[in-house]
Order: sequence, then C-alpha cells, then structure tokens
Amino acid sequence: MSVGTTMAHVHAESIPTPRPARRRRARWPVAYVAPAVIALGVTFGYSFVEVVRYSFYAGSLGALTYVGGANYTAIFQDPQFTHSLLDNLKLLITVPVITLLALGVALVINTGLRGWRAYRAIIFLPYILPATAMGLAFSYLLQGGGVLDSLLRDAGMSFLIHDWLGSPSWVLFSIGGVIVWQQLGFGVVVFSAALLNVPAEIIEAARLDGAGWWRIQVSVMVPYIKRIIEFFVILEAIAALSSVFTYVYVLTGAGPAYSSSVMEFYIYQNGFENGAIGVASAAAVVLLAIASALIAIFLWVRTRASKDRA
Amino acid sequence: MTAAIRVGSRQLLLVVLCVLSLYPLWFMLDTALKSPQQYALNPTGLASHPTFVNFQSVFSQWPFLTWVRNSLVATVVSVGVATVVAMMAAYAIVFSRGRGRELFVRTNIALMAIPPVALLVPMYTLMVQLHLINQLPAVIIFYCGLLVPFSVFFFVNFFREIPFELVEAARMDGASPSRVLVRVILPISGASTFTLVIVNAIFVWNELLIALVFLQANGSRTLMAGLALYQGRYVTNEPLLMAAAFLSVVPLGVLYVFGQRFFVRGLTAGIGK
Amino acid sequence: MQYEARSAPRRTARSRRHSLRGRVATGLLAGALVAGTASITPFVAGAAGASTTARAAAGYSGKITYWFWGESDIPGITKWMQQRIAIYEKLHPKVSVDLVPQSNTTIISSFKLAAQSKTGPTIDTQWATLDTLVPAFSGDVAPLNGLVPKSEMSHWINTNENTYKGQVMAMPLYLIGVPLVWNKALFKKAGLNPNKGPATWSQFLSDAKALKAHGITPLGMGNQDGYFGAWMFAIYMKQELNSLSQVTKGIANQGNAQSIFESKLKSLYTMMQALVKDGYVNSNVSSLSLNQGWQLFPEKKAAMSFTTDGNVLSWAKAVGEANIGVGRPPIWGTGSLASTYDVTQSSDEFITSWAPNKQLDANFLAWLHTPSNMAALNKETDAFPADNRFPVSSITDPLARQLYKLDTTGKSIWLENYLPPQVDSDADIPAGQMILSNSGSPAKAVALWTTQLNLWRTEQPTQFQQFKTWAASS
Repeated sequence: MSVGTTMAHVHAESIPTPRPARRRRARWPVAYVAPAVIALGVTFGYSFVEVVRYSFYAGSLGALTYVGGANYTAIFQDPQFTHSLLDNLKLLITVPVITLLALGVALVINTGLRGWRAYRAIIFLPYILPATAMGLAFSYLLQGGGVLDSLLRDAGMSFLIHDWLGSPSWVLFSIGGVIVWQQLGFGVVVFSAALLNVPAEIIEAARLDGAGWWRIQVSVMVPYIKRIIEFFVILEAIAALSSVFTYVYVLTGAGPAYSSSVMEFYIYQNGFENGAIGVASAAAVVLLAIASALIAIFLWVRTRASKDRA
Repeated sequence: MTAAIRVGSRQLLLVVLCVLSLYPLWFMLDTALKSPQQYALNPTGLASHPTFVNFQSVFSQWPFLTWVRNSLVATVVSVGVATVVAMMAAYAIVFSRGRGRELFVRTNIALMAIPPVALLVPMYTLMVQLHLINQLPAVIIFYCGLLVPFSVFFFVNFFREIPFELVEAARMDGASPSRVLVRVILPISGASTFTLVIVNAIFVWNELLIALVFLQANGSRTLMAGLALYQGRYVTNEPLLMAAAFLSVVPLGVLYVFGQRFFVRGLTAGIGK
Repeated sequence: MQYEARSAPRRTARSRRHSLRGRVATGLLAGALVAGTASITPFVAGAAGASTTARAAAGYSGKITYWFWGESDIPGITKWMQQRIAIYEKLHPKVSVDLVPQSNTTIISSFKLAAQSKTGPTIDTQWATLDTLVPAFSGDVAPLNGLVPKSEMSHWINTNENTYKGQVMAMPLYLIGVPLVWNKALFKKAGLNPNKGPATWSQFLSDAKALKAHGITPLGMGNQDGYFGAWMFAIYMKQELNSLSQVTKGIANQGNAQSIFESKLKSLYTMMQALVKDGYVNSNVSSLSLNQGWQLFPEKKAAMSFTTDGNVLSWAKAVGEANIGVGRPPIWGTGSLASTYDVTQSSDEFITSWAPNKQLDANFLAWLHTPSNMAALNKETDAFPADNRFPVSSITDPLARQLYKLDTTGKSIWLENYLPPQVDSDADIPAGQMILSNSGSPAKAVALWTTQLNLWRTEQPTQFQQFKTWAASS
C-alpha cells in the first residue's frame, strides 16, 4: 500500500476511548478479526520467516544449498549493493525538497487566491497517475537530446543541456525530480487542508501584535501544523525507501553502471533476473531492518502526537 | 500596488506549477497524435496533422483490452476483499473489548511501512508452490495482504468517531453483531468507504513490481506490467507508446474529475483535529 | 529500459557468433549450400510417420506457448512467425500456438522467472550458447535429440553453438553478421571516399575525425541498456585473443588466465574511453537504448553504426541502397582471432523441460525449417535462414549478397555468447556503461569485472562447476 496515502489518518484517534462495560466477553470479535489476521499472517508473517530462511541459502528454487552467512558477506562486497543503499539515502533529499515546496505552495494557496481550488486540484493530479505511464513520458522528455534539451536550446539556455538519464552525475537528480513532480501535490493538499484549520483568533491576535504576512506564516501557521509536517516527512521517507522501483525500472534500468540502482531494484534483479534467491533475500532482510528503524520512529512520533492532544 | 504585485506573483507561481503538472500529460497526448516521422522531425510542436492511428494500433496490435480487463479484475477483487476483511476486523476492534486490540492496531500501522519488495521472494515461491504464477489470483492475494493494514487502520479511525451509543442502542434491541454492522454502521460509512476504495484502487491499478514478477504470460498481464514490458519492444515508436500510456492514464483522470472531493477528503479527514 | 540490462537483456541483436570454438561457418554453410536446393517433402508428414498413429495424434494436438524474440535482429520476423502459425494451425486444427513476443529487455529475465516456477513457455527463444546452455545445465531445456530426427537436424546450421554433452539443445532460425555500415553521402560531405569504409582502427579514427570536423556524428549507437558496450566486448575483445579458451579460462580462474583476461579488458576499455572522449559517438549514447541509438543512422544523423544484417537491409530502404556501405568491423586488435568475423545464429529456439507434450513442440519447430518456410523467411525479412537446404541463389539483392558473403567467409565468433548470463549482465554491461558514460576509468571497469566474477562464483557455485566442466570439454 502506498504509505503516502495514509497520511491523512495518521492523526486520528488511536488510544481506545473507554467504552461502557460489556456484560460478557463475546466470541464474535475473534471470528471478525480472523480473516485479517490470516491475510496478514500469509503476506507478512510467512514472508518474514521465509525471507530470513532463504537468506542463508544459495542456488535457485528447487536446488537450494545452505551457505550460512555467505550471502550477507557477498552483498556487502557487491558495489552495486552499497550503491543501491546509498542511492536510496540520496533520494531522501527529495523529502525536504517536497516538504518545503509543498509548504510554500500551501501557504500561498491558503491566502485564498482566486481559483485556489482549481490550482490545488491540478497540482494534485500527478500524485494519482501511474508512475509506469508517466515514467515512459519522462524517459522521452529527459533523454539526452530529448524534449527537455531541445526546449532548453530553443530558450537559449544551452548551457543547461545534459544527458539527464545517461550521465551518472545527473541521473539521480532526474529521478528525484520526477519523484518531486509526482509527490508535490500530495503535500500541498495535506498542508493546505491543515492550514484551513488554524483558528482565526490566533492569526488575528498575531496581526494585532503587528506581525506581517511572512511573520504570521513562519511564527503562527507553520508551528501550528508542525505535527502534520512531521508525519508527512516520515511517510515520504518511507516511500523513498520502498516505492521508487517503478521510476528506476522505467527510466534507467538502474544504469548507467548501477548509478541509479536502488534496493528494490537490487532485490528484483538478483532474485528474479539472476535467479539468486538467497542474495535477494539477504538484501531484503537488510532493507527490513532499515524499514523497522523508520517504523519505530513513526510509531514514536504518533504516540507523542496523541499525547500532545490529550 | 505592491499588493497587486504580490497577488500577481502568487498567481504566476501557481500557474507555472499547474503547467509543469500537466505538461507530461500534454506531451503524451500530443505525441500520440503524431506519426513517428512527425515526432522525429518535431518532438515538441503541436501535432499538425493529428492522427488516431496510434490509438487504433494499441487496440488492434496489443492485447490492450485484455490487460485492461486484468487490471480491472485485479483491482476490483483485491480492493473488494481487502475492504470487507478490514471493515470486519476494525468493527470488532472498535466495538468489542477483547485483549490485544491496541496491539493489533499498532501491528497494522507498522506493517503499512513495510516495503513490498521485501516480501517478493517468499510470496513468489509460495505462488510457485500453489501453481498460481501467471494467474491473476497470484497478484490478487498479494495485493489483498498489502492493502489490509492501511484499510484496518483507516476503518479503526473512522469507527472511533461513531458515537458508541448508536451501536449500544441497536444491541439493546437484540441486534446481532452482523446486523449492527450491516444496518447501523454500513449506512453511515458510505463516503468513507468509497474514499478508502479509491485510494486502494489507485494503488492496485498503478502497481508494477509485483505484476511484473508474477504475471509473465501476455494474457495475464496487468496494464502496467504490459506497458513496461512493451516499452522495450516499441521504444523506437514513441507515438505508439505514448498512445498506450495515455490510454492507461485516462481511467484515473476520469475518476479524478468526478470523484475529486473523495480524494481530497480521503487525504485530509482527521487532520489537524 | 531498463537496463535491465543489467540483467536482463543482454545483447540485443546481438549477433552472436556462431560456432563454438570458432568453428567455421563457412565450411558448414558451403557444404550445405551445395547440397541444398529446396525441395523435400514437408517434414512434418514424413517425420512423424514412423510412429504409431496414437503418438502422431499426440504430436499434433494441444497448445504450444511460444515466447519468441527476433525482431531486434531481423525486423519483420515476428510477422513471419505469425503467418507460419496461422498456416500450421490450419494444417493441424487441433494445435494452437500462443505467440508471446519478447523484447531485448525481457528475453532473459522472463525465462529466468519462468524457469523458477516451471511455468510459462513450452518453446522459448534465447541467445545462443551460454544463454541457452546455462538453463540447460540446470535442466530447464529438453534436448532435441529423440524429438527431431537426426536427418532433419543435419540440415540446421551451427547447431554446435548449442550442443551440450552430445545433444542438440536448440534450433537455429537464421544467421546474422554484425558489419560496420556507413552512409556514403555523409562520407562524401566530409570529404571522404564514400566507397571505402575504414578497414583498420586508425582509419576508423581518422574518418571519425573528418566527420566530426564537418559537424557529423561519426558513430550512432545506444548504450542505455548496455548493449553497445557488450557489442564492443564481443567484437573487439575477441580481436585481442588467440583462442576462445583465453576467455573461458579467465572466467574459470585457471592459472593466471584471469589476469591476462583483465589486462586485455583494460586495453579494450582504454580504446572505448578514447572513443567517447574524442566525441566520436553520439553524445546521448548513454540514454538511448541500442535500438534507439540505431535510429540515428536511418535518420541520417550519424555516419556509421555497428548493426545486424537485418537492420542494414531495412535501413537501405530509408537512406537508399546506393548510399549504404558495409564492411567488417575495422581491425583493432592483434590477436589471431582479430580477422574472424562476427556472425552467429544469434537467437535459438528450444523446448522447455516442463513442456507437457514435447513432441508437439518439436514437430512445430522442425516444421519451421521446411524449405518453403525458410524461403518465406528470406523473402519476408531478407534474413539468411540457418538451413542448408536454402538455396543461396535465391539471394539476389546485391547488398544482401555482400552481407551473405561476409557472413560465410572465414571463421566467426560472437564472444558475448561465451559469458555466463550473470557475468554478462553484472560485469560486461555495467563496465561498458561505466566507460561509455565517462563515469569510471578503465582500471575501475576492470575492477568491476574482478568483483563480479568473484561474486558469480560464490553466488552460483553449482553453475560455476558446470561452466568449468563445459569449458574444459568444449
């Protein structure tokens, strides 16, 4: 599930509210929860156990041999693995970029410009479009000598021309740019909705104190939606780790020479293109460890937010 | 004067962002209306002699409608099942007093952040053992599992906003749990459920990695997997690929135009309270 | 795409060369050609005749799932295949053939996935030699011996590219060579002799210099998927060798073979690096796939290209046959294999080990080789059928004759076929991308090979042993 979409609800109540005591403990809740537990058990429980087990084996399906920790040694010796890990970390730079841009746009929208709903609706649109299809378009837009380059040339800005997807120093910026393009609208919608809820009295009080527009934004508006911003940042960070495969697959295939490889691609490639299930599983275990750290931060922030409100 | 400049520059900023948001879509459509020769000569200009031949080719030369059907089936079934499963679980969590309820909710929250790729190898081997590779149920089962955590979380939050007295009153009248769910909860959950369904449907419709790995046969591919696999074959026929890409975006565009408030509501409900 | 390359695809049209161990295509071909005038009764009817009616019936009823590739080598071959299928289904109403065309980027990865689940194709196309034999090592390929009569297989050309333990693993369809093509009009524009292409590397460089001075892109190629780099390995690494075992022993890490292999790689990458630094390749080579890069030639935006016979003939229509010059790739290396040409059956067709009714698949494959089908292949696509019953005399186009002569003169090898698929995708392709995108030195590219060779040996221990056995025996 796309983590991004969860943002909205993250803030809702999570501590159980006290309920009137029930007379007897019923059985039906068990039956009602059971299908969900089974679904989670198969998809997540079974997979966690198996992925750890496979990470100690070499060979392909049906012909697996136990090799101990050799797969872990192998991936840490594999420059593509470290490259993939680093690229995921580099793509985290998109998170502050998206957050700041979205915040800025949301603040502007919040001034109640004419047509703000239409603007917001259009800016949000890329977020729901399939990355596969949009990536195809971007591959033509960004390839060396492609559409972007010819637009730059026509605009007399030839010095900006690059092989956006073929140059190792630019390729991650290009992928990051497409991610920003797609995610920006999500941030704008989330932040502008939050800003609508800032009580008018607070703003009015600041204005009476003589604060200008900027000062109000920075000292009143932004702090008021601080928690929302925190959630957004974490969710985007998780997305940067776990849902960039499509962009890489469609735009560059991780090239040139691994320079745009990410963890998802590394796992896909080793597990399914090279048929090295053990190597893929070892990489998946490392990825899960990193994701767990993010999840822990996520749960901690949520808990803190609930306490704030209590 | 300065106020006018300020408003004007803000309008300008938003207009620029809107143009940037829409340009790739425009490029898709514009390219799709050209012949390969026209595109090679003038990739950015307006299609001077619009042709619909590329759209026709997508339907006549590609198994496009089969892919669309597969995507629809995968989306409808996995979202439908996940929604029902999650709703039942959330209902039980919120309106009963079993132990471990908070643990269950927290587990779901944690699982929302698990990268699906980490589950790919075990799920693949499982589907191999079940002989489901190259069949839609393989991805449907996986998608269902991936959708459940967020859906549970969503319904739990929503149900907690429902006054408990409503449920209690119905129970006093002797209604069974299933009757309360169907007669009391469902009628007031329509809009929220629809929101969830949209959000989940977008995920399934757009998903690539799992479909790519699990569905190798031409006839079983989803739209996104088909597009990605045909990219290699038709990469030198830009107009044809762009026509297919554009067609794959259209259903979402239509949904968005008519259901935009559900998107926005889905994303913003519960924020800032 | 995906670079997928990396993994996936590998060479595209690769032209792979035939013959293991540098066998002589010519010898085989020549003999074949002499023998072969078309003729012969349709194979199907006769071949199956021997067996019982029950068996014959089983061989002609059921569903064939065919994952097919070839369009990148031979434009038009998919259409030819669709036509064959229509005819065959009419001939045998109980047979249905589901054709699933693959692309450069999916041919290997799709089969790899299928082999893990033992589902999918009953007939599959792979590139020749190790891309076919590695799956054969692990038992995913059903040998054709016993399914197709030896008398029939004896007409197929270059089956030695795919023979393992005395058994023929796959059927060839066509032969292709990889020539250098040049645009005569652009050569003239640059003040060069349009009728004399570069024969040596220094001539190539001086031609390139002249072209560049006239604002013409000398060489049009694409390496986003890594294939241009892989082609340079296939064509030019080979020119440094005295024998194929210098590569297979290097990969198998026998004695000091790997360090010799690596020093040759370093010279290759130094040469390729200069090519890019001097601006002799299109500047967007790293963001165009091989197929996209090739378009520069028919669009008259590049003066030269390395490509396949099939593409040469199809481009001749775009730039005019009189405007196309073809020759063997310029000689750069000094190994004794430097004079060999780059020809291969490229791709081949085999039956998967999990196909439920292998006779059904075998009958269809063998039927494709009937003279009328082979003649149609040549007629529809200009491809050269890999069958000695095909009459050379029916090649009338002068350009095609010239290409055919190149393909069948002297020894030929396509070196990339001798790399295990994982080594090709994890070392060969990214190392070429590193050099051609100007992001790493030749030493760094060689270091990448060293690392990836070690990883392959530890990650695929069984395959490594099988490779060593095969290399020692071939």
